Amino acid sequence: MTESTGSTTELHERPREASRDPVISVRDLKVRYGERTVLDGVSLDIYRGETMVILGGSGSGKTTLLRHMEGLQRPTEGRVTVKGVDLATASRTTLTALRRSMGVSFQSAAMFNSMTVGDNVALPLLEHSSLAESTIRVMVRIKLQQVGLTHVEDLYPTQLSGGMRKRASLARALALDPEILFFDEPSAGLDPVIAAGLDDLILHLKSAYPITIVVVTHELTSAFLIADRMCMINEGKILAVGTVDEIRRNPDPRVQQFVRREADEPSEASSSYIVGA
Amino acid sequence: MMLLESVGRFSLRQAEYIGRLAIQFWYGLRFSVRASPFKGRGLRWQRTLRQMGDIGVRSLPVLCLVAGATGMIMALQAGAELRRFGAMEAIVTMVGTTMTRELGPLMAAIVVIGRSGSAISAEVATMAVTEELDALRAMALDPIDFVLVPKYLAMLVMLPCLTVMSVFSGILAGGVFAYFALDLTLLAYLSRTAEILLMRDIVSGLVKAVIFGSIIVHVSCLEGFTVSGGPVGVGHSTTNAVVKSIFLVVLADLLCTTFFYFFWR
Repeated sequence: MTESTGSTTELHERPREASRDPVISVRDLKVRYGERTVLDGVSLDIYRGETMVILGGSGSGKTTLLRHMEGLQRPTEGRVTVKGVDLATASRTTLTALRRSMGVSFQSAAMFNSMTVGDNVALPLLEHSSLAESTIRVMVRIKLQQVGLTHVEDLYPTQLSGGMRKRASLARALALDPEILFFDEPSAGLDPVIAAGLDDLILHLKSAYPITIVVVTHELTSAFLIADRMCMINEGKILAVGTVDEIRRNPDPRVQQFVRREADEPSEASSSYIVGA
Repeated sequence: MMLLESVGRFSLRQAEYIGRLAIQFWYGLRFSVRASPFKGRGLRWQRTLRQMGDIGVRSLPVLCLVAGATGMIMALQAGAELRRFGAMEAIVTMVGTTMTRELGPLMAAIVVIGRSGSAISAEVATMAVTEELDALRAMALDPIDFVLVPKYLAMLVMLPCLTVMSVFSGILAGGVFAYFALDLTLLAYLSRTAEILLMRDIVSGLVKAVIFGSIIVHVSCLEGFTVSGGPVGVGHSTTNAVVKSIFLVVLADLLCTTFFYFFWR
């Protein structure tokens, strides 16, 4: 209520955050695929230790924004810096080093289907650490337990359910104890109960580790539950950035429309939850 | 104007394709050095060995049949003509040199394109579609290092080996013909073939095998890496990989043969 949120291109920084260094900083990012503009001058700061939820409808450009922060797409216009490294000009070696401090959980889980779940989780450790193989096996079991999976090391990803695969891919993303964790649509394609379980898991990670989490989603319920700050994106432009309360009270009609449209849906439980949260 | 435009666009696309292939080839070579069995945990070496089984060992039966049939066909066709001149003996030379220099490596390459080239591009394209390649990049693993290099190294070892087997099957099939048509025992046939073959025949065949192997892996992987359009794209990329590989292998064969014709007689 106290402060209004940022307009489309200019980023609004709240006073108590101004002194903090952003771990991810996006400035005037423009992305075009042929004639279509996907991101149109996006600026966003994400600070160390916070959980930032990027909220938007399908085709709003939120996944594209995430892929730029992950370094999977190089910015052609504008600037993306992660931990002070400019991703547009970073060499392959620098990018590789930077990626070791990032974990990514993909929308489709993206487990390697030719390997067992245990080998999937072990892969980053085998490639990037000098730990003994027996130690790695123990660590794999611990990481899988952290996400609530036991006795799945020897199964193949195709033998797991959608929710379990998502959890396993999260365990893989956590394998190298990342500083930044990216989540693309954690609840996509999952039933509400399992999706809620994943939200709990993210909340647990937040409380247990000093980790920066970036989540992209279109699920309002989940967004309001897990976010420290939120960023609402529509047609390639940022509509609003702020805390959960600020977003809820944002006067922008499009923000309100998005919030209300979700709340208008039959699920009374979720809408009353948002109001009461 | 329309014609000029489309010619220009076509040329640009081809130039881009060759550029991509060249960059991928360069990184492939750079990462290949890291696949040494004595470095790290030898994980890359293990993957390479598994690929060798896939590319090499399992192609062997069908390759022997194809190469054997080719050798036999050549002996039959040549025999039909040479008989009129009473020069049947020349069959030994013909089958021996043509198989070693030309048809051995070519048949091996074609069988491997059909079996492994299509499989490689389908595998890589599926990995691209299901975000597995992105997952590798996000894990600070380069897909060229992790996916392409084991296949490339396996191919560099296995295609020359397959070529040797292909040449041998072709020559052996020619020997069967010689046994019936010329009353030449197999041992006599083989020893005569050994007398005829020069080092340059054998080396040129093996050099071709190495070049063909590079083409097959890099073209198939590139088709996979650059897939677009979801599962339908996987099918397209597989078709493209096979067609482009065959075309480029035959083209490379022509260039190699020309080179050897002029520069190493």
